[in-house]
Amino acid sequence: MRFKKKDLVRLYRNLVRARKFDQAAIRLLGEGKFTSFFHAAYGGEAPGVGGTTFLRQDDYIYAHHRGHGIPHAAGKGADLFSFMAEHCGKITGSCKGITGFHACDPEYGMLGAGGTIGSAFPVSVGWGLAAQKAGKGQVAVCFFGDSSAGRGTMHEGMNMAANWRLPVVWVCENNGMGQFVPIKDAYPLEDIASMAAAYGMPGVVVDGQDVVAVAEAVMAAVERARKGKGPSLVECKCLRFRPHVEGAPDWVHAEVRPAEEIERLKKRDPVTLYRKKLLKQGILTEKELEKIDGEIDAEVQEMERFCETGAYPDPSILQNALYAD
Amino acid sequence: MASMNMGMAVNNALALEMERDPNVFLLGEDVGLPGGVLGVTAGLQARFGEKRVLDTPISESAIIGAAVGAAACGLRPVAELMFVDFIGVCLDQLFNQAAKMRYMFGGKAKIPMVLRTCCGAGIGAAAQHSQSLEAWFMHIPGLKVVMPSTPYDAKGLLISAIRDDNPVVFLENKVLYQIEGEVPDEPYTIPIGEADIKREGGDVTMVATGQMVMRALAVAEKMAGEGVSVEVLDPRSLSPLDEEAILKSVKKTHRLVIVHEEVKFAGSGAEIAATVAEKAFDYLDAPVLRVAAPFCPVPFSSKLEAEFVPSEEKITGAVKTVMEG
Ligand SMILES: Cc1ncc(C[n+]2csc(CCOP(=O)(O)OP(=O)(O)O)c2C)c(N)n1
Ligand SMILES: [Mg+2]
Repeated sequence: MRFKKKDLVRLYRNLVRARKFDQAAIRLLGEGKFTSFFHAAYGGEAPGVGGTTFLRQDDYIYAHHRGHGIPHAAGKGADLFSFMAEHCGKITGSCKGITGFHACDPEYGMLGAGGTIGSAFPVSVGWGLAAQKAGKGQVAVCFFGDSSAGRGTMHEGMNMAANWRLPVVWVCENNGMGQFVPIKDAYPLEDIASMAAAYGMPGVVVDGQDVVAVAEAVMAAVERARKGKGPSLVECKCLRFRPHVEGAPDWVHAEVRPAEEIERLKKRDPVTLYRKKLLKQGILTEKELEKIDGEIDAEVQEMERFCETGAYPDPSILQNALYAD
Repeated sequence: MASMNMGMAVNNALALEMERDPNVFLLGEDVGLPGGVLGVTAGLQARFGEKRVLDTPISESAIIGAAVGAAACGLRPVAELMFVDFIGVCLDQLFNQAAKMRYMFGGKAKIPMVLRTCCGAGIGAAAQHSQSLEAWFMHIPGLKVVMPSTPYDAKGLLISAIRDDNPVVFLENKVLYQIEGEVPDEPYTIPIGEADIKREGGDVTMVATGQMVMRALAVAEKMAGEGVSVEVLDPRSLSPLDEEAILKSVKKTHRLVIVHEEVKFAGSGAEIAATVAEKAFDYLDAPVLRVAAPFCPVPFSSKLEAEFVPSEEKITGAVKTVMEG
């Protein structure tokens, strides 16, 4: 896909929205307004944003749990306000306060996500089947973490999707860690992408800090899938600047990641990198970038008001929540 | 004697058994230097080495299956499943393999393994990280199902579980990780299948498990002030179930209230109530009542979650009702 200026601007806007909503989530958790936990995306927003911004509204995505899907929802254009209100346990939340932290916005192809790592693979096969059957050229893009590749469901899902040439794109967000354990202690291989060979599909590695590189690789796989050529695997080597989950120690095994290391990682901040690129290529000026940033700051403030003013759900809503009529 | 919470008591039991028997080893996600997601196995890898405390990838089927296989070869694995909710992704290894092997192979196989996991609601972790699934395990012949309510019981029961020649599912309620109790320093065992009377009383028998034991005791204390004497019985293991102790208590008090955190429908309380109906019907002065969670997944928003978990108010209401009956 060749990106025009307006595409690149949209990509910037989505990346900054992902960043600022994720930062807001960290803050709201600290203020006790988010009532449970939060797995910040900070530093690793590019795969979710780059992998979704140029999809069609009717494409399906399975969001990874980084940022609880904020980068993916931001890229897809889904409603971030109700998603944030959901974390506050409000009735104005996307799931009425019942689910808490799983992104769901069916109008934008987000049919929900699960809390059991690895459940994404088989479900995405089902979306791919539905897309193939519908024959409208939709795709299903499944985002997952490097450590999620340890689940047997990945084998089952990837094999089935490849065998049936389903329009599924597998996007691995490889931040090198699964909770406290570095990926090098979990797999004998360097690249998750190399596993693609087992299913006879393309597997590529991209710089997951470079949002354009992610978008290019994912969209190439998407176009291939839309043509009926079957699934691909795109591995994004990315970073996370925060602990696995807010409030937990930022450990590698039981060693705290030193502040200097985080500072070093921050040299590859996806937002800064992309800003520099846009300036250097003369696509946006400093002033234009600031204008976009300011608009998103205002949106975040509005979002916080939206979260604040919503009511808490009454337990009576559970009565009809379980079964379809 | 030392004051410690249930996590520390479990840690202590594991350390003592690993010291005593070189065949005992641990495996699970992050169980090494980080000590598991809630820190329960902290310090054990540093003390016993990487060969005896194994960090695994996110591969629950392989964690449980490896424990089954190693147990069949004479080792005594203690596998950790991060949350009981994840049992769905690996159940075959437990219920078709571990539970059935001795029986299927005419007594030639022996599976001395323990599966430790944590369960229960109350920390805002919602539908897929808060469940109580005791009844699932109880329903599988071949498994033993243990659920301690105090640090003291946890230590003695876990040592028994490790020494047991059968697969034991050991359920730790996460709220109880925060509550301290007195625990002797030396190793000791509590027989699996033996209930404990946590408070003696003459008017009503209250059978409670896990976190509900605390609430049952609080209600018993309050009711004592109103002239009602409640006996609180903790089965401690749900399979085998100490029917004798339950029947003996009911024959004394003539009234039974069962309190558990699982959903009421087909929960462990149904088995207990049916047993009492079959074997002590004539002793009952009032219908057996169950106080349990409603028939829905654990909701997120704090007010909804509080409504889901049986409250002292609801338990008190049940005691008053059976007293009128
Ligand atoms: C079946 C299952 N096992 C374990 C967990 C606990 N858990 C949640 S996130 C996580 C680490 C995931 O690592 P990765 O897939 O690399 O994603 P990252 O968090 O690094 O983005 C673990 C072990 C879970 N939720 N579900
Ligand atoms: Mg990771």
